[in-house]
Amino acid sequence: SMAEAEAAGDAGLSPAPAPAREGAELAAVIGATVPTGFEQTAADEVQEKLGSASRISKDRGKIYFEVPARSLPQVHRLRSVDNLFVVVQEFKDYQFKENKEDALKDLEDLVKVLPWADPLQVWELNNSLKKKKTKRKKHNLQSPASREKLSDGGEEGGADQNNTNDQEDCAQTPVAVEPTDSQDAEKPQGVTSRNGVEEEEDKEQSDEKADVQASSESGTKAGDGQTGEGEAKVLRFRVTCNRAGDKHSFTSNEAARDFGGAVQEHFQWKADMTNFDVEVLLNIHNNEVVVGIALTEESLHRRNITHFGPTTLRSTLAYGMLRLCDPQPTDIIVDPMCGTGAIPIEGAAEWPYCFHIAGDNSPQAVKRAANNICSLLRKNENKDSSTALGVPLDIVQWDICNLPLRTGSVDIVVTDMPFGKRIGSKKKNWDLYPACLMEMGRICTPGTGRAVLLTQDKKCFAKALSRVGHIWRRAQTVWVNVGGLHAAVYLLRRTWERAEERRSFW
Amino acid sequence: KLGRPSELPPEPGPDYEGDEEFLRRLHHVLLEVEVLEGALQCPDSGRRFPISRGVPNMLLTEDEA
Repeated sequence: SMAEAEAAGDAGLSPAPAPAREGAELAAVIGATVPTGFEQTAADEVQEKLGSASRISKDRGKIYFEVPARSLPQVHRLRSVDNLFVVVQEFKDYQFKENKEDALKDLEDLVKVLPWADPLQVWELNNSLKKKKTKRKKHNLQSPASREKLSDGGEEGGADQNNTNDQEDCAQTPVAVEPTDSQDAEKPQGVTSRNGVEEEEDKEQSDEKADVQASSESGTKAGDGQTGEGEAKVLRFRVTCNRAGDKHSFTSNEAARDFGGAVQEHFQWKADMTNFDVEVLLNIHNNEVVVGIALTEESLHRRNITHFGPTTLRSTLAYGMLRLCDPQPTDIIVDPMCGTGAIPIEGAAEWPYCFHIAGDNSPQAVKRAANNICSLLRKNENKDSSTALGVPLDIVQWDICNLPLRTGSVDIVVTDMPFGKRIGSKKKNWDLYPACLMEMGRICTPGTGRAVLLTQDKKCFAKALSRVGHIWRRAQTVWVNVGGLHAAVYLLRRTWERAEERRSFW
Repeated sequence: KLGRPSELPPEPGPDYEGDEEFLRRLHHVLLEVEVLEGALQCPDSGRRFPISRGVPNMLLTEDEA
């Protein structure tokens, strides 16, 4: 299995990572997708929890880091990442041929020289971890990992003799192309999602992602032939290609189809779009090409929320926002427009030495948030006692403009401000934003307090902020993508100026 | 007022930070007791805010706001 470690002599290929030597520990280069804009936050979390440095890719929303394979359980517990994959190989400056057929042929030829062995071992290890977890709904995996060794060297020889002619004879049935998220597929701005993960692509010619089934046949029994032999089960796979950039001569569909065909021929796996064991990822971003194998099948970002609202914030984004304000033990953290509670719930889970207060004026929101908190409590239940361990989180129904909180008593305000288009209206925001900022400024501790606010209405926010410059200073802005909409997260610092004592009710 | 003796003094004593027994009871009341049905009462105005299913409703009426 050392054979596949050789990189082909083609120009433009980076050297393949060295294979694990006998006795050396299995290591993996992990790729993680994170909310765009929060790559540094994710890198910080990886450094803190895994001790590994990360590389932030030019392909936004991705970071890469190396860990020993035994650290996989900790990798899965990262709170800033949406999806994980193990890197087979990265090409920093891949030279695509101008001609479409040539470019695609190069991709096909790549398959047999890629160093699959170690990454596939990592994938197997990852599978055994998944089985230990309690079963979740919507499990895509069907067949268990094949016992037969997956290395290229062993199977290639035998497979080729049987299949070459069959593949040539058999007419390739037309490629089945399935847009992964049909409502987004129409958007010209190429923001598509799969499993709830939102990704942004370049505005210059970019393609939608395509999950392509390299379909092999009606007549060919090449794949089936192996199921009869011994107890070995044939793995099912699919290829997902993301392509972004304006100089490619091919589409993501075509790349996925041809790459998939080569994968099928090389491994003798069976192509299956829905019930796959192995998901091969082909990520092309201008001249950066990354081949990987997925380690997560459903996005981690909905982990805390069982009761959705119309605009529930994904947990990874909530985590990123909270981390941005650097919570310290004993900080009081308030989300005054909490909706279904994504932010305070993430906060209470990850920063248990702070006290989190959530509030909203809507009875439906409060009810949903309370339900989500109960779900969290049930997860934390102590088996020995009948009562759940407490969670440092409380919820109140209140009015953002009249908060029942003492002046200067809150360390951190963090919230997802209502977006004009999704909830309420743009006109309402013009009035609401300044009032919110004033009230949030009142409850926040002068000097040390801070706020992290997510909004899509950047113009309205900038204007409102200019009116409260004596209370809030802008410290940092992170550009993010929320449900296909371009939004911004603002980190604000509370000035030393004391707020006026409350004149009315409280 | 929890309706049962909470063993807490009405005000924190002068050295409350070092008083472990007091801190334990305070911690219990603040973080381990959940009021499901009841009310919060403003100490100044006496205005009561109902608590239902663990959630206090502190919205003001039109007149109050």
